[in-house]
Amino acid sequence: MSKLRLALDLEGTSRGRQVRDIVESLGRLHWVRGALVVSPDGFVIASEVPRAVAVEPLAALAATLGRDLEVGASRMGHGAFQTALFSADDGTVFLAASRIGFVVALAEPQANLQSLRGALSEAVTLIEAAWAPAEVAPAG
Amino acid sequence: MTAVLERLLRPGGRRRSPSDFFAHADRLRREGRYPEAATLVASGLALDPNSVTGHLLAAYLHVAQRTIEPAKREFRWVLGRDASHPRALLGLARIALEEGDLVGCRECLGSALRAYPDFPEASAVLDALAAPPTTATPTTAPPRLERLRLPGAARALVLVDAQGRALVELPAAEDGGPRLPRIAGLASAALKRAGFGALRRAIIDDREQTHFLRADGVHTLALAMPRTTPIPQGLLEVNRLWGAAQHELAVARDEAPVPPPGSIRRVS
Repeated sequence: MSKLRLALDLEGTSRGRQVRDIVESLGRLHWVRGALVVSPDGFVIASEVPRAVAVEPLAALAATLGRDLEVGASRMGHGAFQTALFSADDGTVFLAASRIGFVVALAEPQANLQSLRGALSEAVTLIEAAWAPAEVAPAG
Repeated sequence: MTAVLERLLRPGGRRRSPSDFFAHADRLRREGRYPEAATLVASGLALDPNSVTGHLLAAYLHVAQRTIEPAKREFRWVLGRDASHPRALLGLARIALEEGDLVGCRECLGSALRAYPDFPEASAVLDALAAPPTTATPTTAPPRLERLRLPGAARALVLVDAQGRALVELPAAEDGGPRLPRIAGLASAALKRAGFGALRRAIIDDREQTHFLRADGVHTLALAMPRTTPIPQGLLEVNRLWGAAQHELAVARDEAPVPPPGSIRRVS
C-alpha cells in the first residue's frame, strides 16, 4: 500500500472516529438519553440513541428543522443560526449547526440546559477544528 | 494532479469503475468529507454521465454543502429518469420547504409516499407539516391583541395561531408569521419522535439574536432579544408575555359576537 493511500485512509479513519467520539461523549453526559450527528440532507453520520427511537425519521426532522432555522436566520439578516433547544414535558431536543451538519442531543427534563448548551458548542468547535480546510499562513 | 492521485489510489492497479468512485464517495460522505466526496462523484459521472446513483449522490452532497440550486438540478435530473424516485422526491420536498413552498413540499412527499408507503423519513416530515386536527379552516377574523407591547430590550414579538395567522407582529415588518408554526410543527414532531411530547418552550440562538418561544399546540409566541440577553431574563420576559397573551385571548373569546341562531348547524 502506498504511503499516500495509507495517510488518506488514516485521516478518514480519524475523522470518522472523531465524529463517533463526539456523539459518544455527548451521550455519556448526565441526563442525556442519546445524540446524533446528521448531515444537512438528513443522512445519519453517527448516532447513539435508545432502541425505542427510530433514528432515520428523527434525523430527517432534525435536518429539516436545522435547515429551516439556517435559511430563516440568514434571510432575516440575523447572521448564521447556531444552537437551539426545544423542550416538551418529558425532555429536550438540542440542535447545533456545524460545518458537516447538525449535532443533536436528546436530554431528560432534569438536564442542566446551560451546561448542555455548552457541551454542544464544544462539540461544534471540535467538528469545526477537524473539518476546517487547511488555513494558508499569511505571507511575511 | 487528480488523475495522478487516482492512478495512485486505484486498488490493484485496475481501472476504477464509476461504481468504485461512487462507493468511495459514499464512504467519504459518511465521514462528513463532502468536498472530497463531490470530487469523486464528478469523476464517476465523467465516466458514466447517466448514472442515477451518481446524480443522487451529487444532489445529496450539494445539500450537505448548502448549495441548493445545483442540488435541485440533480434531484430533478433523477426524477427525469424515475418520476417516483422516493429519495429525490424527499430531497426536493425539503428544499421546497426551505423556500417556503409548502404546497410543493407536500406534493413531493405525497408522491413519494404513494409510490413507497413505507418511507419513514417522508412520513415524519409530512406529519410535521400536517395541520393539527383541531384547526378547522378559520371562518372568523383572528382577534387582534392590541395591548401586548414589545418589551424595551426586545427586537421583535410574534404570536401566531395554529393556522399561521399573526395575532401580534411587532414590528409589523418582521414577517415571522408563516415560519413560526412550521418551526413549531417540526420541533414538536422531533420531540414526539424522541418520546418527549409536544413542544412547550424553545430557545434559538443565531449570531445576533436569541429567540425565546412558548407554545401550546394552538398558539406559538416568539420573542427576539439581543444575543447578549441573559437566558433567565429572556425566559422571564417570554413567560410574562405568554401569560398576558393568554389573558388577552380569553378576553377576546368572551367579547366575540355570538353567531345568529340560523348559522348554527345542528348535528343529528
